Amino acid sequence: MTRLLEVTGLHAGYSAVPVLHGIDLHLDAGEAIGLFGPNGHGKTTLLHTVSGLLKPTKGSVRFDGQDITGAKPSAIVAAGLVQAQQGNTLFGDMGVQETLELAAFNPRGRSGAQTRLDEVHALFPRLAERRRQRARTLSGGERQMLSIGCALMCNPRLLILDEPTLGLSPRLKGELREAIAEIARKGVPLIVVEQDVEFLLALSSRLYLVEQGEVARMIDRADAPDHKEIMDMYFGEQAH
Amino acid sequence: MDGVLIPTLVSGLLLGSLYALMASGLSLIWTTLGVFNFAHGALMTLGAYIAWTVSEQLGLGLAAGFVAGIGAAVIAGVLIELLLVRPFYGNRNMMLITVMTTLAASTILERGISMIWGPRLKQLPRTLDGQVNLLGAPVSAHEALIIVLAPAVLLALWWYTGRTLSGRSLRAVGQNRSAAALLGIDVPRTFSLAFGLSAALAGLTGVLLGSIRFVTPGLGADPLVNAMIVVIFGGLGSLGATAGAAYVIGLLEALLVLWLGLYWTPSVLFVALILVLVFRPNGLFGKAA
Repeated sequence: MTRLLEVTGLHAGYSAVPVLHGIDLHLDAGEAIGLFGPNGHGKTTLLHTVSGLLKPTKGSVRFDGQDITGAKPSAIVAAGLVQAQQGNTLFGDMGVQETLELAAFNPRGRSGAQTRLDEVHALFPRLAERRRQRARTLSGGERQMLSIGCALMCNPRLLILDEPTLGLSPRLKGELREAIAEIARKGVPLIVVEQDVEFLLALSSRLYLVEQGEVARMIDRADAPDHKEIMDMYFGEQAH
Repeated sequence: MDGVLIPTLVSGLLLGSLYALMASGLSLIWTTLGVFNFAHGALMTLGAYIAWTVSEQLGLGLAAGFVAGIGAAVIAGVLIELLLVRPFYGNRNMMLITVMTTLAASTILERGISMIWGPRLKQLPRTLDGQVNLLGAPVSAHEALIIVLAPAVLLALWWYTGRTLSGRSLRAVGQNRSAAALLGIDVPRTFSLAFGLSAALAGLTGVLLGSIRFVTPGLGADPLVNAMIVVIFGGLGSLGATAGAAYVIGLLEALLVLWLGLYWTPSVLFVALILVLVFRPNGLFGKAA
């Protein structure tokens, strides 16, 4: 298997506040991996640095053999690494269809945009029903669907989803997870951040626990720990 | 009264058209970058002077003057973005800093212009000769052209930002910069695009204005204040609101000049702006936040 993504010794943060203290992780072609861990410990910072929104202070990011450390976000998307942001509100005054079409504006998304639009509509029929509705009037679940739909319009070779079911009702969570599993079945490599470890275990081959800006542990599905052990990782042994 | 009212309304319409052209350029930058470009008036002036040099001094004709004037404004606009706005992206005081840097650009341009071209008044020829009748009032054909051209330019701009992907990318960057970047939109290039387009509008307005008024180093700075009133009056945002506000202000200004005279008109316009903002903080046509 070839390495699709390789993050080595990544340090990053916001002006004077370092958040990541040397993250190492990798993803092989055709693989899905999950990230979990307490809030505020650097998962989103890590994803922003990988996507080029933040410049790393140290370390490197290689995508498909190419060094993309500190590259422009647009160049990273053009290479095929696409991220759907957490809690995404996208563009409040833009319609659903308008936004999806715009997502195919980059050089990578342009060819075959119509086919991909049909695929996104098949995956999320609600987006097809709400074509002309403005993003700000969508429900949280629909916005998330639009956000994932937009990422798919970029024709990703690696799709990053940052807490795609955050704050949704259990029914909508289930619906979105089914869609994400469907995307994985189609063979799109995924990095998914989620708090629900069981969902991640079902979806991905490996899990990373990100804690205090470091990878505290990597879990292979083959020797996955039981529920109690994972809860211990989250809250510390003494919490029980 | 009848004999004066119609010509006054027509001159209000002309003012409104000029404000609409200026204010749409200002609002294009505001909605994309969240920055007010105080050098917009100086870009108009630059466009008019370059057009005068090419058309009158070099004798290449007014059409060449238009192209050169707009081109020079675009180059200057893109340079202003590159040198005086871009270094401050992501700075939390970006808006205040760029107020100062674009004011600086405005001063440098104006002083530079008066050093190069001197204090003598210049005038551009009219695009069209002769007169036409508008609602029974005689208007020069040049002014009638501006009245027709402004809505056409606004419509083209509306079509561009709504229907084309590159136009939509401007709105996307304005509404959510990081989400736009994550969709592969080149954000810095979009900023240049906004400045370039806005400067093109400034150049066009400057050249058109240069044959109605004398071309002086202050050509653009005077109407700029009113164009800013227009943008705020309209509610800092959509193109339609800005255009609507431009015509309201233009007509109001013409009527005020008729009723109160030139002296009191600017003060009353500001009072009107303040009253509108007291009762409608999001502007006359703005949406509630």
